[in-house]
Amino acid sequence: MPPDTPSQPPQGAARIAGEAELVARTLAGERAAFGELVERYAPQARRVARAVLGDADEADDAAQDGFLSALVKLGQYDARRPFGPWLMRIVANAATDRRRRRQVRRVEPLDPGLVGGGPRPDADAVRSELGERLRAALAELPPRRRTAVVLFDVEGYSHAEIAGMLGIPEGTVRSEVFHARRRLRALLADWKGA
Amino acid sequence: MNEERTFDHRPDPELGGVLRRALDSPRDDQAAFVARVMARYDDALAAATVPTWEVLAGWARRGIAVALLAAVVGGFVLGRALQTPEPESFDAAMAPTSGAGVAALVTATDPPDASIVFASLVEQR
Repeated sequence: MPPDTPSQPPQGAARIAGEAELVARTLAGERAAFGELVERYAPQARRVARAVLGDADEADDAAQDGFLSALVKLGQYDARRPFGPWLMRIVANAATDRRRRRQVRRVEPLDPGLVGGGPRPDADAVRSELGERLRAALAELPPRRRTAVVLFDVEGYSHAEIAGMLGIPEGTVRSEVFHARRRLRALLADWKGA
Repeated sequence: MNEERTFDHRPDPELGGVLRRALDSPRDDQAAFVARVMARYDDALAAATVPTWEVLAGWARRGIAVALLAAVVGGFVLGRALQTPEPESFDAAMAPTSGAGVAALVTATDPPDASIVFASLVEQR
């Protein structure tokens, strides 16, 4: 998949049916089927958890909690609906629970360790600089706002799906995405103009 | 990327792309993460699995309780059955027994006198 397109897998009827089958096989005790679901959604779950929490290690713990929680609740999944939004709702909840438990009122810096260490070519260095600035900008956004923009622009979910995941009205999702985009686009425009 | 697109109801591929790169780490090892989740899956499965003997013991406990209940109910029914006398059959109850009064009653050509009927009843007692 090209890097600049939303990473959410297409949610056609065939895909829904395929994932429903994986869910059914998991419920029947087939380990490999659950492994396939984890493999398919791991990158997305980790990004969503990072958007909520900031810290990469804590986000991975939350994403893992999300997968295991989904496993426990798998019997409640409606096989007629896409699996992704259902799973991401659980992952976002797991990450939000962790953030609440942390009870830190300060601005949460995104983990600088998200950027790999060691020497790198110039192009990578430039990209890394933009990445750092974006992470800093994301960290300044309220958690719900940055989660909404990541789910919309990175993962490709609809406003309605995000509303369901975050438990907020669709209009609020639109507003959150709007404000997040305005901030992030201003940053990108500055960076391009520099 | 302009202000108008801020209102766009479609995902912005450019913004989405840079955000994704910002959130993904070059250090990310998806295979290691998947393995970690699956290890927890195995742990959870092992913890949830009850040994066979415990299952059998559970069945045995339930079996003993059911057997005790069945024995109590069975004993009660049997006891009641033994205490109740066998009912007399209709023919046996109506069969004539020996005695002059009865003989006179069954052999008479005329309708019986009330005293004869009374006497036959008294003799049967």
